[in-house]
Amino acid sequence: MDLTSDYPTPNHENGEGMKQRFRVALAQINCQRGDKEANTQKIEEYTKRAKQQNADLVIFPELSLTGYMLGDELYKLAETIPGPSTNRIERIAQEQEAYIIFGMPELSEKTQATLYNTAVIVGPQGLIGRYRKMYLPTHSVFEEKRYFRQGHHVGVFETDLGRIGLIICYDVFFPEVSRLTRLEGAQLIICISASPAVRKAFFETLTVARAMENTAFLAYVNLVGIEDGLQFWGGSRLVGPNGRIIVSAKYDEEDLVIGEIDYTEIRQVEPFVPTLKDLRPEIFDKLKEKAENL
Amino acid sequence: MRLTPQVLDLNWEEVKNKISRFIRDYVEKTGVKGVVLGLSGGVDSSTAAALSAIAIGGNKVLGLMLPERETYNPKDLEHAKLVAEKFGIKTELIDITPTLEALQKTIPAFDPEDKLCKGNLKARTRMLYLYYYANKFNLIVCGSSDKSETMIGYFTKWGDIAADIAPLMDLYKTQVRKLAKHIGIPGDIANKPATPMLWPGQTAEEEIGVKYELLDLILYGLEHFMKVEEIAEQLNIKRELVEKIEKRWRAMEHKRRMPLTTKIQYRTVGFDFRLPHTQS
Repeated sequence: MDLTSDYPTPNHENGEGMKQRFRVALAQINCQRGDKEANTQKIEEYTKRAKQQNADLVIFPELSLTGYMLGDELYKLAETIPGPSTNRIERIAQEQEAYIIFGMPELSEKTQATLYNTAVIVGPQGLIGRYRKMYLPTHSVFEEKRYFRQGHHVGVFETDLGRIGLIICYDVFFPEVSRLTRLEGAQLIICISASPAVRKAFFETLTVARAMENTAFLAYVNLVGIEDGLQFWGGSRLVGPNGRIIVSAKYDEEDLVIGEIDYTEIRQVEPFVPTLKDLRPEIFDKLKEKAENL
Repeated sequence: MRLTPQVLDLNWEEVKNKISRFIRDYVEKTGVKGVVLGLSGGVDSSTAAALSAIAIGGNKVLGLMLPERETYNPKDLEHAKLVAEKFGIKTELIDITPTLEALQKTIPAFDPEDKLCKGNLKARTRMLYLYYYANKFNLIVCGSSDKSETMIGYFTKWGDIAADIAPLMDLYKTQVRKLAKHIGIPGDIANKPATPMLWPGQTAEEEIGVKYELLDLILYGLEHFMKVEEIAEQLNIKRELVEKIEKRWRAMEHKRRMPLTTKIQYRTVGFDFRLPHTQS
């Protein structure tokens, strides 16, 4: 099975014309559950605020178009991509000349009720692509496999802000997703999330680990608010390739924080943290073999 | 994992914030005017009342004191009033004895010697008062059941468990005591023996047959998928005691759920409808 990105990435093959430095906004919002109109308005409002602070990229949490704990309402709320909501958010990106990443339940265009938990990236030129969550938690309070089909490709997109990789929440527990994303050339890995409070320690550790082991920037943006007794803890952060927390958002409250990415920092880190140079491909065969026989 | 009392330690300030945020959020989302709860003077209801007041302001919290002749204890009333005063909670005192007597008279099968059935009548009568006030004044009923009692089913079905929210239900009794002290509930309320007040002299620990300090560790072990023998060995207690608690926990699931039906149609309440608890 080919897990590589399903979107063509023809531009900037040699990094020409892309920004080496830019500002990224972590838009940690509390969603109105089931109210796409209200959430789209909030996405617009936060994008404007981020743009006023010279951010080029604004990131919203997992399923930020709809909220997370939706149960059967997901069938009613899911849309195709492109669709009415991505069209609206494309317009916001064009008007604000910003890149926007947000999450939504996606309806497969080939079916009538097959859904994906999807991250969407739009930019000043319109829709750039989507990433369908590969690892769907279905344990404890999570029921994602009940509703969503898992994605089969990592999401790496060529933009004026460099190659951006998208992952979603529980994907960060599986280092191979971030690793593959990195090997596809992403220097910035974005993890959008809807994590309830009991998992704070995992995410705070794993986001730093994924950045360090891949010598990449990692932006983590989590939901806040309470849905069906689950309290989403926020704590969004931008992590540098050396594991430094560049900027972090408040716990439990809505917040908008902006951090700067300078890709040249990776060049400084890579020589002495040469995890990519030292990769041993033969180990992956063993890993595959063992994983099939767990 | 070692089952020591320390496993039950939490960051109480964080717990206070989480619970008060939960109550505030629920009141806002449902658009009600506030909260009504039964105020017995015990640690659970005192803590639930105080947290409600912290969340939405004492003037939006109504505590109903619902004593009855058989279990009446002036100390409990004094404690309830003390908490109400301290947290600025409105109260109403209603003696439910006449209601109970009237009810008993109209039940042909009523057996005064059957103290459990008679006691449950008291818990369910208190529920009627709470829901009347909730209904009348556009409030939600805030329950005060804790995790220890909910897990072993030590409550009256449709009685003291009946509520719209149960903010303490994920805290064991000994944890509620610690949280109570943290938020300023006086020590003699926080530490006093728990009783559901179903009959005179009833105490929870005597009836359950194990101290809460031990019960909570047994339940914590079960919660964390520990085996019965592991729990017994670590706590240096008989395996039979752990088995008894485990059995009780499993047998009481019917008290914690919506009534069971049998599946006939495409989508069924309690089986495969999955709708959000509150709407935006």
